[in-house]
Amino acid sequence: MMVQVIVDGKNYEAEEGSLLIDLLIKEQIKVPYFCYHEALGADGNCRMCMVEIAGQKRPQIACDTLVKPDMEVSSKSEKIEKVHTDILELELINHPVDCPTCDQAGECSLQDFYMDYGLHESKVRIEEKVKHDKHVDLGANVMLDQERCVLCARCTRFTDKITHTHELGIIGRGDEAKVSTMPGRKLHNPYAMNLVDICPVGALTSKDFRFKQRVWFLETANSVCHGCAKGCNIYIDHHKIKYEDDMIYRFRPRRNDAVNGFFICDAGRLSYKLLQNNRQTMIRHKDEIISEEKSIALYQSLLKQYKNSITVVIDANLYNEEIEALVDYAQRIGAEVCAPLECYDDTEFADTMLKSAKRAANYEKVVKMGLDRTMPKTSGLIINFNHTETFYAEMQIDFSTHQRPNASFILPIAAYSEQSGSLTNEDGLVQMCEKAVHKNSPSPTLREWLQKVGL
Amino acid sequence: MREALIVSRKFSLEESHTLAVAQEHGAYKTLKKLQNLSPLEVIKIIKESGLRGKGGGGAPAGNKWALMPQESEKPSFLAVNCDESEPGTFKDRQIITKDPHLLIEGILLTCYAIKAIHAYVYIRGEYYQYQQVLQVAVDEANAAGLLGDVKITLHRGAGAYICGEKSALLESMEGKRGHPRLKPKQPEPEWYFGNPTLVNNVETIASVPFILEHGAEAYRSYGTERSPGTLLFAMSGHVERPGVYEAEFGVPMMEYINHFGGGVKNGKKLKAVIPGGASTGVLTAKEAEEVLLDYESLRAMGVSLGTGGMIVMDEETSMVAVLKNLLEFYHEESCGQCTPCREGTGWVDKLVGKILDGRGSSADIDELLEIAETMNGKTICVFAPAVSAVIVSFLTRFRDEFEAAL
Ligand SMILES: Cc1cc2nc3c(=O)[nH]c(=O)nc-3n(C[C@H](O)[C@H](O)[C@H](O)COP(=O)(O)O)c2cc1C
Ligand code: SF4
Ligand code: SF4
Ligand code: FES
Repeated sequence: MMVQVIVDGKNYEAEEGSLLIDLLIKEQIKVPYFCYHEALGADGNCRMCMVEIAGQKRPQIACDTLVKPDMEVSSKSEKIEKVHTDILELELINHPVDCPTCDQAGECSLQDFYMDYGLHESKVRIEEKVKHDKHVDLGANVMLDQERCVLCARCTRFTDKITHTHELGIIGRGDEAKVSTMPGRKLHNPYAMNLVDICPVGALTSKDFRFKQRVWFLETANSVCHGCAKGCNIYIDHHKIKYEDDMIYRFRPRRNDAVNGFFICDAGRLSYKLLQNNRQTMIRHKDEIISEEKSIALYQSLLKQYKNSITVVIDANLYNEEIEALVDYAQRIGAEVCAPLECYDDTEFADTMLKSAKRAANYEKVVKMGLDRTMPKTSGLIINFNHTETFYAEMQIDFSTHQRPNASFILPIAAYSEQSGSLTNEDGLVQMCEKAVHKNSPSPTLREWLQKVGL
Repeated sequence: MREALIVSRKFSLEESHTLAVAQEHGAYKTLKKLQNLSPLEVIKIIKESGLRGKGGGGAPAGNKWALMPQESEKPSFLAVNCDESEPGTFKDRQIITKDPHLLIEGILLTCYAIKAIHAYVYIRGEYYQYQQVLQVAVDEANAAGLLGDVKITLHRGAGAYICGEKSALLESMEGKRGHPRLKPKQPEPEWYFGNPTLVNNVETIASVPFILEHGAEAYRSYGTERSPGTLLFAMSGHVERPGVYEAEFGVPMMEYINHFGGGVKNGKKLKAVIPGGASTGVLTAKEAEEVLLDYESLRAMGVSLGTGGMIVMDEETSMVAVLKNLLEFYHEESCGQCTPCREGTGWVDKLVGKILDGRGSSADIDELLEIAETMNGKTICVFAPAVSAVIVSFLTRFRDEFEAAL
């Protein structure tokens, strides 16, 4: 039942019995917190999310307070702000404060809370801090700095409750407590890099992203992972260094409760590398780099030459709009169409969490449109739109984002990160991808090429 | 002072830990009474007796028993708390070595009342040799067919003070780290692998046979109105005869110390008494002269009765050194979950260390009180509030000594 709650003098509606902290997060009412995470539930250890509740003598943690009708909550009184400041100060006494060399700086909860609740003259008059290991390679691309850890146990709860792999634990008591893997074991699960995102501070960092870029330089675009047909929502974080090209530095999961929740798999997360490396940038015929003009003329003469014996091959990772345009185009030039899918079936990749056995982002679109999913049959001309398989034909034209070693006539196209478009995931959900990367010399998009070669 | 032997009645007998001697002196007689009593009637008697938990909190035992479901699809458990790690407290080990059969009898009666099928005794790891005495007794009772349907398992802890906290104890018994759990929103039993469980101190359970044998009134005839019965009070520190001596609640502290302990050691003057285990605060000699040994009297003085393990300190004791000693213990033993406790216990330990080394400043004393404030009432369990109270107690009563050390 929805009930009324008053927070800082304002009225809000919330489900009776739900967690107060969920309301605060939803309504963007600021309270500091480390240990609570919507995917992991309450643990109540950081003691930062304190609020005052009318009728209660002591401050209460919002993550362990259930909403009751007409509850009166104060998150900003002088008294409660002092509690936040005091606990934050305790959190900091053994923290190394090495923000200048920490990858989390700029997206660190501890740093943010210090700006909000700290900014105080330190009262700490003890010299020595507790020392821990600063470079622990946990495995699976995750590095641990035990000194930066605030012991919120989000990471251990992730491996206990989400992946059920139990690699992480906290050992030692009191201020000697630290996160560790079990002796002789490594972090080893296909979702391990999510730990880097759920760690609120710089204790868990990505071996892949470490020291590559300060986060405040990164620009972010909303996109969808192309690793499989699940369609996990991601952020593409990219940046253009002066005099260099726009580069992707990392993928991060973007929350979508209807698809991926808070997480993505590590394979998907690291797929930005495949996207970015070995790109085709020049138009090439045989061993010669040719001009766009020349290539269009060549293309058109090939169309004439092979008239009635042409197959258009569509890759199931192209956007909905691209696939539709290609089907339309094929019809105009009287070509057969196919979108081979078999090579994208990979049951070994699949699991019960997110990873799908269909390893093409727009697999479902191909199925829905009823396209021929087998390999091309004609032996005349194949016009291949970014499919990675090897085909057999007298002649082949490749529109390709990436290099194809044996291609005889290859035309570069923009990758999904360089244009916007939509995808249909395996559950039939249509999701938008924004244009993220702005290349110095962008390749035409597929649709631009179709215009150029004459629709 | 009148004699009041409820739990320690058989302690002085030769071979009192054996089944033969125990039975010769009446052990297990109360089991027969259960034929004419329903579980709920047993709980009623315990409620009427006013028996209070003897693990430190003094919670009315009957109310806790009543929270256990009488009808449940899940099995019910009893966990007897023998973690006994509070500095100054060493009474439960007397029970399990001097009269283990009294505890077993109490366990059987309690299990009957709460319909538990399995009782665990959680014993601190350092009590290995005492655990063996209890194990022999359990085996003897089992061989004699006394246990009936109840299974008794001794579970050895790994040496963490916090595992005495009831929910941490159960976490530990489940094979996890001994971390206290978040408190439930309403009164309910504890949970062991999701099953309803009662946690009581060894001495609480060992008091049950007397109550069932002689009735609630007999128990209430000892002690005060609100602190009925007796406690295995104990003394350590600067007394002539340290040890565990049972007495009824409400006796004057000094009378107890003089009567059983023979007064302060070597005829020195008394300076201070920690009344009931390390976490209960400290009293000045003057306060100790005035206070009575019951929950309410000690509470009124701003300290607590705890487990009744008194630490007596003579005039030559440095209160700064005592506080440092205690804070080192808490620094070591905080489970480390809650930020105020994990970081606070270390900070206060280091600050008092500074003062003890003569490097302190008056700002450090203020700071100690401020950290104590942050540690109070903001954590999962009462460990941090107890440390906070200890600091405040020492600094308010002996501030001059701390200032003199600066
Ligand atoms: C830090 C801490 C340590 C404790 N240690 C013990 C202990 O060693 N033995 C014990 O019986 N109770 C201990 N307690 C109290 C238990 O949580 C619990 O209240 C008690 O076992 C209940 O039994 P009782 O009601 O019979 O006293 C401790 C509590 C705290 C907070
Ligand atoms: S490593 Fe990060 S997530 Fe894990 S306990 Fe430490 S701060 Fe929390
Ligand atoms: S108060 Fe201290 S001992 Fe108790 S749960 Fe918190 S950190 Fe652990
Ligand atoms: S978020 Fe509530 S205690 Fe950590």
